[in-house]
Amino acid sequence: MTPWCPYEADVTAAVLERRRLSDDGDELMTHAAGCEICREVLMVTRLLVDDREQARREIHVPAAGQVWWRAAVRARLEAVHAAARPLTWLNGIAGACAIGLVIALASVAWPFARDGAEWLVAIAFTDSSFSQAVALVMGTLQRGVVVMLVAATCLVFAPLALYLALSDD
Amino acid sequence: MSDVRSIALTDMDRAGAFEDAERTFQMTEDAFRLFYELTARPVWIYLARMTGDDRLADDLLQEAYYRFLRTRTVFESDDHRRHYLFRIATNLVHDHRRAPRREMTVLDDLKVSDDRSARLDDGERAVQRLDLTRAMRQLKPRDRSMLWLAYAQGFSHEEIAGLLGLRKSSLKALLHRARQRLIAVLKQEGRS
Repeated sequence: MTPWCPYEADVTAAVLERRRLSDDGDELMTHAAGCEICREVLMVTRLLVDDREQARREIHVPAAGQVWWRAAVRARLEAVHAAARPLTWLNGIAGACAIGLVIALASVAWPFARDGAEWLVAIAFTDSSFSQAVALVMGTLQRGVVVMLVAATCLVFAPLALYLALSDD
Repeated sequence: MSDVRSIALTDMDRAGAFEDAERTFQMTEDAFRLFYELTARPVWIYLARMTGDDRLADDLLQEAYYRFLRTRTVFESDDHRRHYLFRIATNLVHDHRRAPRREMTVLDDLKVSDDRSARLDDGERAVQRLDLTRAMRQLKPRDRSMLWLAYAQGFSHEEIAGLLGLRKSSLKALLHRARQRLIAVLKQEGRS
């Protein structure tokens, strides 16, 4: 069973409102004088209220305008960061898609280049000077695929690299 | 917060920030000023007494108002608004306590600046406050909050239970025990 007194709240209210206990009538004062719990409450409340009042006089809180301004700036920064977040994701996804596309295109283009080269090799069996020319063409084609692949990769990565280099983060 | 302080903005940016703020925050600047004048000191004292660090109280005060301004809660009254702010302050103190210790300048009890101490004309009162501060620091954080909210701010048991996330039915007993602990520590301080 918690020791508790029904006058506790009255005692606290009197101290908080800077009233004397006798202002509320003799009953409260007489009771508080004889009640251990109320005496405790009175003592603790007086100590804390005195401390609070003294601190109120001593402290210097920042001006309202200053607090508002800092909050406004912070809200704006957070809004900017929040807005930039999906763009970063989008760039990442676009980059990944582009790389995938380039690989897919290369894998599609490669059999055509190989078939064409084989066809040219078949013709080359009939004429040795022509076979040399075919080998040259085939080599060029193979090199061309690699060059195309590199060019496409550069096209994809150059904007990404620029974005990463120029972004604030 | 220090990031925000160190940022230098152009006038145009400032104007933009204020326009954004009017849209983002739940009250106008004028309404905020009125509310701030009423609540800033009690909240600051609460934060300072709960953390024992005046500088930290400054930072937490700014953070508390920022969170308050960003909330989407609909307030029924000024009291509701005030209680909500105290709840934010309580949570901030709680979060700070759980966060890893950083370099903290804990003011030695009521070590106050010269102009402050000059105003303490009543020596006995100063000693009493010193004892109180030391005693409060020895209590559990929850006890400190309960005692301050109940006896320095005059919050009801129901309000304190709501603020600290406690059951209303158990608050009476908890408050009683906290009060007794404070008195016991004060007596001990007095003897020493």
